[in-house]
Amino acid sequence: MTAEDRAIQRDRMRFIKNSLSSNLAILGILFDVFYFVSIYKSDVGTWYYTILTGASIVYNLVFMLAVFLSSEGVKNYKRGYSYLLIALGVFQAVRIFIIPMRAHTAETLINGAATVVMQDGQFYRVAAYLLISGACLIASAVVNLIRCRALAEHLKTLDAQGA
Amino acid sequence: MATLNLQHIDKIYDNNVQAVFDFNLDVKDGELIVLVGPSGCGKSTTLRMVAGLEDISAGKLLLDGRDITATPPKDRDMAMVFQSYALYGHMTIYENMAFSLTLRKENPNVIHKKVLAAAEILDLTSQLNKKPAQLSGGQRQRVAMGRSIVRNPKVFLFDEPLSNLDAKLRGATRREILLLHKRLRATMMYVTHDQTEALTLADRIVCMSMGRVQQVGTPLELYDSPANVFVASFIGLPPMNFYDARVNGGQLNGEGFTVALSPEEQHRLRGYNNREIILGVRPEDVAEGADVPVTVSSNENLGMNTLVHGHIGGSKAATAKISAKLKGWRDYKVGQSASFTFGRKHFFDKETTNAIRGGEG
Repeated sequence: MTAEDRAIQRDRMRFIKNSLSSNLAILGILFDVFYFVSIYKSDVGTWYYTILTGASIVYNLVFMLAVFLSSEGVKNYKRGYSYLLIALGVFQAVRIFIIPMRAHTAETLINGAATVVMQDGQFYRVAAYLLISGACLIASAVVNLIRCRALAEHLKTLDAQGA
Repeated sequence: MATLNLQHIDKIYDNNVQAVFDFNLDVKDGELIVLVGPSGCGKSTTLRMVAGLEDISAGKLLLDGRDITATPPKDRDMAMVFQSYALYGHMTIYENMAFSLTLRKENPNVIHKKVLAAAEILDLTSQLNKKPAQLSGGQRQRVAMGRSIVRNPKVFLFDEPLSNLDAKLRGATRREILLLHKRLRATMMYVTHDQTEALTLADRIVCMSMGRVQQVGTPLELYDSPANVFVASFIGLPPMNFYDARVNGGQLNGEGFTVALSPEEQHRLRGYNNREIILGVRPEDVAEGADVPVTVSSNENLGMNTLVHGHIGGSKAATAKISAKLKGWRDYKVGQSASFTFGRKHFFDKETTNAIRGGEG
């Protein structure tokens, strides 16, 4: 890529939205939804019936709203939303230890037999969903931060040329 | 750029209604052709046939000598600007202008250069991040033009692009189109029912009525030497006055007036002695004089001119109406008697309604 191409690419950012960051954030929501619909699918009686489940549901709603708003923010090269996305992304990894890990290590009685609440397969799947979701959010944030910096430098150059 | 040849083109719809009859036109490279005529005369249909949006029932359409009669619109390398702008409301101006190139999967950097260049031409650079709803009608129409420019088509087609604008914007945008044409030197076809647009924009005008070409010529030719009564009545504002009159040697006798004919006029009408013709006089060729007695029915002061309407000889017959565009400020009262004279006269055959150039009859 020539220097001129790079300059044009930077100049395009003045008019083209940051769709890559925005789409990555939306992908983060999608994998969170996969996680959410996968975690409660096994029939383990009343093991999940705790306040954690309610909190998890509320958190998922807040998470989806926050990430959606952030996706709109990063689409318009707003730097602040990147930090929110990084925080949410890191917390996605932490969430593995809140419900999935506890369920993976817990046993409950099903038809009189002790059964692991979350089998290996399900655990690795939901953990992967959370990790991918978190990675998407962090990637979205990093791409946005890089582009914001490039755009700011480019605008500064344009201002200098204009002056 | 491109030449365009329309050869014996007909348009017949499925219900057997014929909208265009034997349309012939050679558009030169870089020429701005304006199709003008009243609503329903077939001008938009003709343009849509050129664009490929309507099938051509008969005849041939050649672009740079290549037959494109059956070529699909997307392969014709023409860009059309519509009256309704046809912009995407959810896209920014930049995205609207880049859209056609994005669909063609052009290099984004090339698209960027083209869009910025078009925006510069149309003075839209500062609007590129806005949505169409945030722009005025004139700006939106410029965006529609910009979308055409970025494609660098062989022919630009405009279908009444200024009809949605108010009078002031229309004038400004008209001048922009003219500048654009001068700058791009592109071949353009422009449809309008507004004769002012036609006269001010066109290199040549095609005047149409009832699906037929009435006259093709420069604006001055159509104004100065209309081919028939229709063209004479359509071109010019206020429209030309028409009177039935009898040629009587060196005189022309109409209802309520008699005017003398110059030797040149007598020569032109030499085959029409003692026959009825149609006399046409433009309002700007009517002056205060002693030939035509008039009863004034209205007096409109326009500043530099005064538009006087009246009836010849006090007659209320529609055929004896007269409009005069007099120089300077006049103050005729309604019902007042006045006397006018005719300057330049146009003569038309009463049967064919064609102009009498001399030697007919």
